[in-house]
Amino acid sequence: MVNFTVDEIRALMDKKRNIRNMSVIAHVDHGKSTLTDSLVSKAGIIASSRAGETRFTDTRKDEQERCITIKSTAISMFFRLGQENLDLITSPDQKESNEDGFLINLIDSPGHVDFSSEVTAALRVTDGALVVVDCVSGVCVQTETVLRQAIAERIKPVLFMNKMDRALLELQLEPEELYQTFQRIVENVNVIIATYNDDSGPMGEMRVDPSKGSVGFGSGLHGWAFSVKEFADIYASLFKVPAAKLMTKLWGENFFNKKTKKWSKGKENDNERAFNMYILDPIFKLFDAIMNFKKEETQKLLDTLKIKLSSEDRDKEGKALLKVVMRTWLPAGDTLFHMITIHLPSPVTAQKYRAEMLYEGPSDDAACTGIKNCDSNAPLMMYISKMVPTSDKGRFYAFGRVFSGKVATGQKVRIMGPNYTPGRKEDLYEKAIQRSILMMGRFVEAIEDVPAGNICGLVGVDQYLVKTGTISTFKEAHNLKVMKFSVSPVVRVAVEPKNPSDLPKLVEGLKRLAKSDPMVQCIIEESGEHIVAGAGELHLEICLKDLEEDHACIPLKKTDPVVSYRETVSAESSEVCLSKSPNKHNRLYMKAMPLPDELSNDIDDNKVTPRDDPKVRKAYLCEHHEFDATDAMKIWTFGPEQTGPNLLIDTTKGVQYLNEIKDSCVAGFQWATKEGVLCDEHMRGVRFNLVDVTLHADAIHRGGGQIIPTTRRVLYASVLTADPRLQEPVYLCEIQCPENAVGGIYGVLNRRRGVVFEEMQVVGTPMFVVKAHLPVNESFGFTADLRSNTGGQAFPQCVFDHWQEMPGNPMDPSPSNKPYNIVIETRKRKGLKEGLPELSNYLDKL
Amino acid sequence: MLGGKDKLQSFFEKDIVEVDRETVEQQSAEILDHLKNGESVSFLVVGDPFGATTHTDIILRSLSKANNIVIANNASIINSIGISGLKPSKFGGIVSIPFWSESYKPSSFYSKIVANCEIGLHTLCLLDIQVKEQSIENLMKGRKIYEKPKFMSVSVAAQQLLSCQANYCGESHALINEDSVVVCLLRIGTEFESIRVSKLGDLPSLDYGPPLHSLIIVGEIDEEELLSNKI
Repeated sequence: MVNFTVDEIRALMDKKRNIRNMSVIAHVDHGKSTLTDSLVSKAGIIASSRAGETRFTDTRKDEQERCITIKSTAISMFFRLGQENLDLITSPDQKESNEDGFLINLIDSPGHVDFSSEVTAALRVTDGALVVVDCVSGVCVQTETVLRQAIAERIKPVLFMNKMDRALLELQLEPEELYQTFQRIVENVNVIIATYNDDSGPMGEMRVDPSKGSVGFGSGLHGWAFSVKEFADIYASLFKVPAAKLMTKLWGENFFNKKTKKWSKGKENDNERAFNMYILDPIFKLFDAIMNFKKEETQKLLDTLKIKLSSEDRDKEGKALLKVVMRTWLPAGDTLFHMITIHLPSPVTAQKYRAEMLYEGPSDDAACTGIKNCDSNAPLMMYISKMVPTSDKGRFYAFGRVFSGKVATGQKVRIMGPNYTPGRKEDLYEKAIQRSILMMGRFVEAIEDVPAGNICGLVGVDQYLVKTGTISTFKEAHNLKVMKFSVSPVVRVAVEPKNPSDLPKLVEGLKRLAKSDPMVQCIIEESGEHIVAGAGELHLEICLKDLEEDHACIPLKKTDPVVSYRETVSAESSEVCLSKSPNKHNRLYMKAMPLPDELSNDIDDNKVTPRDDPKVRKAYLCEHHEFDATDAMKIWTFGPEQTGPNLLIDTTKGVQYLNEIKDSCVAGFQWATKEGVLCDEHMRGVRFNLVDVTLHADAIHRGGGQIIPTTRRVLYASVLTADPRLQEPVYLCEIQCPENAVGGIYGVLNRRRGVVFEEMQVVGTPMFVVKAHLPVNESFGFTADLRSNTGGQAFPQCVFDHWQEMPGNPMDPSPSNKPYNIVIETRKRKGLKEGLPELSNYLDKL
Repeated sequence: MLGGKDKLQSFFEKDIVEVDRETVEQQSAEILDHLKNGESVSFLVVGDPFGATTHTDIILRSLSKANNIVIANNASIINSIGISGLKPSKFGGIVSIPFWSESYKPSSFYSKIVANCEIGLHTLCLLDIQVKEQSIENLMKGRKIYEKPKFMSVSVAAQQLLSCQANYCGESHALINEDSVVVCLLRIGTEFESIRVSKLGDLPSLDYGPPLHSLIIVGEIDEEELLSNKI
């Protein structure tokens, strides 16, 4: 256990080639935090006395109680790499000469989907990811989600197969079965990687490969792990063969015949797979000997394997002995550190290819060059990815990564929020940094300055940023790209204080809550309601608990959760809609029609964006979505928020002064798509064609005041005449359970409008996986319901998947029409005019 | 109107209801409803009765409802331009110059002035007045919060004109430049009225006092006009 002083850490920070910033990501309950512990217990941890305790990174009381990680936590570790391993690192950007110490900044992130926004924030500040997969359950929905996110952020993954002890002790798998299981997981992971990464891209090949050592196996709980490399090292000295050569033999279709001493590529009668023979066999023998209390055999094996135990450990038996033997033989910490240092990129390597993805500005300005070169002497560019509460109530540390330059205490910087555009003053503050700090779990330590490639916290920035932002010293700097979350806040509750005089405290508390969580949204409705919106039930539960106990500190009343909807259309407007401006002298003609579903998804996924080169976008739209080429060049804007999945397209011909009202039309469009006509929800998947325009000849009479409200009215009229529909959010729900519980799952899903689309057995286990689509609206209390119907054997994971159109026109006022009822209720809740919106309010006659 | 509501009331010996632009534009039907009961409605306006399109609209719509419409002509900047010394007959199309905002910078008025200049006509520029306007944000939120009244001064108008000129190219556009002669009509019809001749390029730095302002871009000047200017 090494304790470092701040000065020593500061010195390490300058050796940027020996830094690894990494996150640990996985599906919930696959054992991230436990695995992290084995790293922590191994390394020199900086300024901490809690190492070795279980779940070191779960700092909150509720995290320990529930045994899940809620907030991501960063820790820094120091590790020295032996010379033989140092030699394996060939790239000059991956190690400093004459330095064998590595600084590893690890972020442990939550696995539950409801908290995946925390994962997104963690990925942004790291360069590599340790993907943990439970080798019994295999690749799960959240594994895929986080892996996809990691690749999109250009984070390099290494894979770790956890819970091998379970595979051996509970499932009693044969070596070949276990190999097949591993092989399948590796393939599954590589399929995901291949889907989202292009081998010819700037990162090159990202696939994980056991024969290269980028896949680890073991048990976090028992504290042992190995990769093919560890065994190659052992056998290399034995066989006098270079380890590198052995590694390729120890995985895959390589079989060895003990009698003939010959290698072959296929299974024959008396040969055996090298992985099974040389790696699994000794492990199986050890397990067998120890668990069946074969004392002599155990001792023999220990001698052969040269495992030396302390005298007190020698007296142990069964599982306890197994743990200690395996831990001594194959310490997890060493294996993981080798994988991290050898296979994950240093900031110097990673920022070269990440720069263009991170930076919004031109790729040749000082900021971008600084990021590319990870240059501590370039202008400062730092991304704040989240806010971490301090012990001082209501204040936050801004946590983030320095990509270029140095951030220092007292330095005067530009603090740029997500809405900042270069050259403007909105969302921009020029302030001095009160203090820069090192953050390790819950401990903080002041530090003079922090150079590029490192992760740190800042004091005094929280007043200027809501959740995220860019910090720079470069006057022409553009923003670092805003993070894209894989989940959206679709579940919302209204809160009010039990005691009305506490309202100011609630408002203040909501502000703090909005800061402390990367995803949660706190909104005040027109009706005066305070809304908290989160990714799912659990996420909301935690947020509300925090709000009640930490942020507002007052008793709260909460409504039942409700979901948000989207407003869309299902046909083309039945007529060309006309609205006149208030002064009656400008007329706008518009039609609405549905966008193809795939296009809405493409826009949501950022495949089609307003920032694309219009020509490239045109080609894409024409090819994939059968767009008319002229229309594709005349997309005025996306909305809401200028990026949403609705389009405003100019299809007018030869209208004079049209460009003068374009900005007003765009503003009206943003407004209308954000607050739809039916019940003030966002619009989604609607294309609006501006068909014709008549304008007053005098510019004074066609200003924003005239055009903006008119645009909104004509958009509303076109929606109402285009057979409007509601879309509801739908979860992808993955449920693992034993076979006898499957029936119970179907019952619960049927009652909740769920649709099962896949059911399969996890190969090699008695477990079943059921995948279903479940409307979010029906998901409240789903987990509890499911447990009670399956005797507590089924565990669902729900992640937002897509928006689904609800059948039925919300404008049809029959009591059994669900969309109609939703519209009426939502309007009532939001304090809008009750009853359906009337077309005559929006449609004018010539 | 410049005299204030009280003076008018005592002059007409009638109560006068002041209505803002919003009411005239959006609730004109209510005003006209009075006609149904056989009441007569007088609608008092600033300037020429047909100067504003909304007023024309009201007259058109009352045609079917009213038995008899009487229009009393009013003093207006348009029939007062003779005071500038330029012949009213030598004016071309009148243009309005709207306030520019960050996102809204129409410049169609500029080409109209150029068109007038090309055939030697003077151009009367009416300058934007924004009384009781909502900001875009308040408009969207539906809040009836209004901005402070704004009146365009000749110097702002000149700034906008010059920046239009910088954005245009072509020979004819050089007709309007910093040396163009302009006449500033200041607070015409009040006791503080004043008329100033200046060069367009000098205007942005000048302060000609409180509103209302109008601006004339002078075309070709004939002898008579020169004489009257000397008076």
